Order: sequence, then structure tokens, then C-alpha cells
Amino acid sequence: MGRKLLLEKAHVEGIRYFDTYRREGGYRSVEKVLKTMAPDEVTEEVKKSGLRGRGGAGFPTGMKWSFLAKPEGIPRHLVVNADESEPGTFKDRYLMEHIPHLLVEGIIVASYALGSNTSFIYIRGEYAWIVDILEQAIQEARNNGFLGKNILGSGFDCDIHVQRGAGAYICGEETALLESLEGKRGNPRIKPPFPAVKGVWDRPTVVNNVESIAAVVPIINEGGEEYAKIGMGKSTGTKLISACGNINKPGVYEIDMTISVEEFIYSDEWCGGIANGKRLKACIPGGSSVPILPANLLLTTAKGEQRMMNYESLSDGGFQTGSMMGSGGFIVFDEDQCVVKHTYTLARFYRHESCGQCSPCREGTGWMEKLLLRLDKGQGKMSDIDLLWDIQSKIEGNTICPLGDAAAWPVAAAIRHFRDEFEWHITNAGEAQIRNFGLAHYADAREAVTA
Amino acid sequence: MAEDIKQAAPPKMKVTIDNISVEVDPGTTILQAARMIGGEVTPPAMCFYTPLKGSGGKCRTCLVEVSKGSEKDPRPMPKLVASCRTGVMDGMEVKNITSQRVLGARAGVVEFLLLNHPLDCPICDQAGECHLQDLSYEHGKEGTRYEFKKRTFKKHNLGQYIQLHMTRCILCYRCVFTADQVTNKRQHGVLDRGDHAEIATYIEKSLDNDFIGNVIDVCPVGALTDKTFRFKNRVWFTKPEDAHRDCDKCCGKVTLWKRGDEVLRVTARKDQWGEVMNDEEGKTGWICNECRFEKKDVKDWVIEGPTKVSRHSVIGVNHYEVLDKPDETVAKVMGGRQPKLLLDIHSISDVNDPSVDLSKISGPATGAVFNHKQLTENTE
Repeated sequence: MGRKLLLEKAHVEGIRYFDTYRREGGYRSVEKVLKTMAPDEVTEEVKKSGLRGRGGAGFPTGMKWSFLAKPEGIPRHLVVNADESEPGTFKDRYLMEHIPHLLVEGIIVASYALGSNTSFIYIRGEYAWIVDILEQAIQEARNNGFLGKNILGSGFDCDIHVQRGAGAYICGEETALLESLEGKRGNPRIKPPFPAVKGVWDRPTVVNNVESIAAVVPIINEGGEEYAKIGMGKSTGTKLISACGNINKPGVYEIDMTISVEEFIYSDEWCGGIANGKRLKACIPGGSSVPILPANLLLTTAKGEQRMMNYESLSDGGFQTGSMMGSGGFIVFDEDQCVVKHTYTLARFYRHESCGQCSPCREGTGWMEKLLLRLDKGQGKMSDIDLLWDIQSKIEGNTICPLGDAAAWPVAAAIRHFRDEFEWHITNAGEAQIRNFGLAHYADAREAVTA
Repeated sequence: MAEDIKQAAPPKMKVTIDNISVEVDPGTTILQAARMIGGEVTPPAMCFYTPLKGSGGKCRTCLVEVSKGSEKDPRPMPKLVASCRTGVMDGMEVKNITSQRVLGARAGVVEFLLLNHPLDCPICDQAGECHLQDLSYEHGKEGTRYEFKKRTFKKHNLGQYIQLHMTRCILCYRCVFTADQVTNKRQHGVLDRGDHAEIATYIEKSLDNDFIGNVIDVCPVGALTDKTFRFKNRVWFTKPEDAHRDCDKCCGKVTLWKRGDEVLRVTARKDQWGEVMNDEEGKTGWICNECRFEKKDVKDWVIEGPTKVSRHSVIGVNHYEVLDKPDETVAKVMGGRQPKLLLDIHSISDVNDPSVDLSKISGPATGAVFNHKQLTENTE
């Protein structure tokens, strides 16, 4: 069993409340940094830990912090991105529901490192009840002197505000989030300038995912170097994976990134195998926007190595034969799932969530949705598949924010790996309406390609 | 005094666009540098509008490839960048029409923009001065691969001055910036999101702020048009003339669009990029509602002379005989031989008779023009 750093205490009775959390060793890291460390030392410690952003892109958190501009006389802010709206991702929800003080503690430490006296949690509007949980945790921390003026007599002031979103996936994009936080329409900004230079109200801002900020707590408690020893290669520490789909035990798991994908799916400790004794067909390993992989490519890389649950191994082979760790939304498909229908569902989601600011994403997502619906209903043409491919290639990389890419990748990967299923939907249109394509050859062993 | 302090001019930056170098001031964007060079290397722009702060970056038609970041950091930029919002660096090398990637992406953007555009140019007042028309002629493909129903919207009434056709809108946000920066209060905005986003006032309200008429000038398509000019005439039949009047609210320098002695429309003066020009003091020549909508009489204006129309050629055609006409090239490429005429259409049809100079008649050619000519010939 791997080590748990974030969810270790998540099931202690009453851990949601300050007294229990404190009794279980909570807020040690705040005492440590405020009494013994300079802000830059905290950043240095996070850099040493090799912590990579848990929101999806995997950018090193310590590096992000060190990019923060520090002009004289201008306040800086930390904004925690709790706008977790990616289909298949629900790890932050679990963390905030069960152990909200861990996030609050992380924010205080990170705010100290960044010099943010006012920090924000931007939470998706649908998580209405979690706002109450967080507000209560913040109030408790304030009552006990961990927030407010002159925390623990160190002279450092910090307060946290919780801001609810209004139901837009796009507000999880960091600059759209900042716009929304400012009270404007949540359109992503054009970068540069980056938030580290001009963020919320044109002040230097760091936007971090909930899990990244929570991970700062064990990093400070254990020390960055100690933290970096967990995991493999550049994937250090532990990662929360929200597993869902056709598995026996869906839920949020904390893994230390040393286990294989196969073990993660079939071991009773984690997902517990495919539900109802069916066979694995495909999987999206990192939330809806990362490429889908067929079973054979999921379990072994194109080189024939076993695929591990970490950043490097999941992205091994690039988009040709690999995928991404993303935000850790692990969606498993059994042999009875239809990839065409699934791709249509995702396309519909991205069409609905596009902000409409830049033309490729606004128009392209709607077009892809219509084509995929037609294919799914058995009314498609062979040329539609190539057309879809062309549309996604015109969207990818040509938009202001990554939503365009996120809409294009699932379609591209589905066509790349499951083209024969798409073709079957056209050639056997009638049959496609009453039965599924099935597993076909998607679990067959691939010939290892040695470079 | 600020003027007394002599500051050394900041060093110019050299940027190369499609192998043509130009030296520009720091802070210039790639698009502006390309406009200094002019001609084909200038990327098209549908949402960027120089006088409007914060505009640009949205339509993605001006994407270019940066093949060399700068002298200091020669790495190329991995993605295509929006040239209207990317500043130049010293030694930067940019590929526009020399890059297949750019041309492909741009053709894609044009196709995307036209997906839900109604293409009702024959009944659209913007036709002839529409940037989307120009863009699709210059950069688009001849057909679309879209086979679905186009998106439509519920109609909104924006009051007595401005007509909104939301189906034509390409969501460039220019009118939103204009209302923010030129009028005293913005009353409209973008509602909803994605492909169902629309320009509207939320609660049915009319747009009647002073200076709000400028949204008509900035609109690159026919989404916002002048109600006082609606269906009055095609722009290429009207003759633009520069004129001015003393106005206590605005600069009073306008273009009158006339047919005979009738003033059909008043707009701000625009430059070759379709943007409202600066006046002599360097201020943007926005005009007030009174000048635009109320002063439709020649007596109200001091006429300066015909407006030079260069870019939107369809307006210029037939107006001024001084325009350069293209050379006859058939004989040149055929080794001096003239093309063989199978049938001279002029011998059997009066329409399009080359002896009738269309530029000399006021207004569209009708049967009467040709018939009249016959009459005069007969009497001779």
C-alpha cells in the first residue's frame, strides 16, 4: 500500500472541525513556516519537492511561484482554483468536503510564501454546500488565530475569501477565473501578460489547484527532499485520482505514482476490476479532455513497457500512442460502451461550455457536435470522419485558451484509435442502433515498436 | 516640464515579416508592423480595431507564425500567435503568407466564421464594405462543408437608430469596447456563451446614448447597421464625399454617402483598414449621433471633395475615372494573338454596352440608360 499524505486523516471522526484537525497534527506547517522560515525558503522547499500542478497541465508549482512578479507597493494574491468542472474529475470535492482545514492550512503557507495578504478560493457554483464547509473552516481558523492580523505573532496578515462561480466550465481556466473573480464575464484573457505579472485587478497573482495547495502542507511538514523521494522520476509525491466508469469501486484514491495502470484498475485496493465481469475496452486516464486510449495502449506503451500511473508514463508516446495525467479523472469503459456516443457526449459538453470568444472554438465545437450526433444516429457519411479530423486540427492550438485544445483532443484520439468503430457506425448504420461495436481488437496485444 | 526633458528615442526594433524587414518602435504589434509594410503581408483583422483599447485576439484571422522569437532568444514560438496582440521583439522573424500553417489555419477560421453566417449579402446593407466579404474572397475556400441548419436568434429591437441582425454577428466585441470607451455608459453586451452567445441589451432597451452610432462604423459585418440608411441604397451606388460642420459635441468631420444631391448616410472617416481615422490633433474621429443621424441635408455640411476609396474597391468602381485599370493580358500570354470571339454579346444585347460609361451616370444602370442611348443615336 502506497503512502498517503493528503487523505491519511480524511476519515478521522470530526476531522472537518478545527479541534480534531489540530489534535491530529494540523496547522504544524503554519507554525513551522511562520516561526522558522523566510518566504523564499518556503518557495525553495516547494521547488525541491518537484511538486507538479495538479490541475491538469502539470507545471511545476515551485517554478510558478518563483515567476511571481514582486513590484514594490502592489499587493499580490493567491487564488485557489476550486472550479473543478471537468467531467470525470471530482478529487478536489472529496478533499474539500472531508478535510477542508488541509486546504486552509495550505493556503496560509502558500500565501506566506507568495506574500499574499488576501487570498481567494474560487469554487464552482454547483459545489454550494462545500462553500459552507470552507467558510466554517476559515472562521474556525480565524477564531484560533491562524488567519487574520498578525498570525501567531509573526506580523504576517492573511485572510481568505470564498467566491462562488456561476456554473461555467470555462471559469476553471485561470485567466477566465480571474475575470470572473473580478465580477466580469468569464472570458479567458489573451496571454501575455501572464497572471504572475498581471492577474486579478492587474496585480501579480498565482492561481493554483486545490490539490497543489493542499500538497504544500506535507511538503513543509516532511521537507521538500523527503517529499521528492515519493513517486517516480519527475512525478513526485502523491496524486489524487478520481476513478469512475465501469469499475467495481469508483471513488477517490490517493496513489504514490509508482503503481501500474493495470494494478490500479484490477487491484482490489483500488478500482477492483471491471464491473459485472466484463472486459476493459478503453480508458480516459486524466479527465475528459485528455486523449482516450484503447485497452492495449493503456496497459502497455507502444514500446511494450508497462504503463505506470504517473505523468511521464501516461504521456509516453505523445498523442500518437499516449495520453496525459491531466487532472486525474480516471474514466474506465467496458466492452459494451460505444466510443462514438461517448465522443458525441464530450463534444456536446465542450460546445455548451465554449465561451464564444474566439471563432475556431465557438463555431468548431458546434460543428463537431452536429457531425458526431449524425454519426451516432447512423446517418453519417464516410467523409464525416475525415471532416471531423480536419475540424479538430483547425481548432487545436489556434484558440486563446486551452478549451479549444480540450475540445479537439478527445475527438482526435477517438478517431485515431477507434476509427473502425466510427466506420462501422456508417457501414452498418442499422445494426449500430441496436447493438454495440463491442471490444473488437482493442485489447489485443500490439506489436512492440522499438525505436 | 515633460516636453523639456529630452529623452533619447528608444532604439528601433527590426522585425522581418515574410522576408521584408521593417524598423518599428518598441511596443508595436506584429500586425501594426505588417501594416507599415502593407500589401499582401498584412494579416487580415476582423476583431482588432486600433482606436479601441483591449480589442483584438478573438477572431483568430490574423494568426501568424513566429519562426524566430528575437535576436536574444531565437527559438520559434510553438503555436501560431495572434499578430494583433503580440508585440514585436528585436530581430523577430514572422511568416504570414509564406507559411502553409498560417494559410491553412486562416482558411479554417474563415470557414468557421461563415458556418453560421447567413450569407444574405444581397439584402444586407453592409455588402460592398463588409470585412467578412473581403476576408472570404481573399482567404476563404469557394464552398463550405457545413450541412446543418444555421443558427438563428430571436430578434431584438435596439431603438430608432441601430438595426441589429444577430445572425450576421461574428462576436468581435468591437461594439462592446466602443460603448465602453466612447459613450458615457454601455447599455448592451454579450449575453450567453458559446455559439449561442449574442449581442443584446438583456432587458429590451434601445441604444440611444450619444456617440452610440459609432458601433455601426466599427461593426465589421452587417450585424449593426444604420436604420436611417436601411434599404435606401447599395453602398456602391452612393458616392462618398468628405465633409465637415461645426459640431460642439464631436469633431464634425465625416464622410457623406450621397446619391445625386441627397445625403443618404453619414459615417465617420475611415482609413484604408476600415478604421475610424484620427483628426489633426491625433484624436480619434468618432462622430456624435446628431451628425450621423439627423444631418441628412447637403446644406448642413461643408463639402471638401470626394473621399479617396482604395481598399474597398467595389465602392470605388464606377466612381472615378482616374482609377487604374488592369492591363489587358490575354494578348501578352498568347504571343500577341487576340482571343477568338465566338460571339460578341454586345452585338445582340444592349445590356453592358461598353460605349455607355457607367461611371458617368448617377446611380445604377437601368434599361432606360441604354434605351436613351439608342434614342440619341437614332436622332443623330
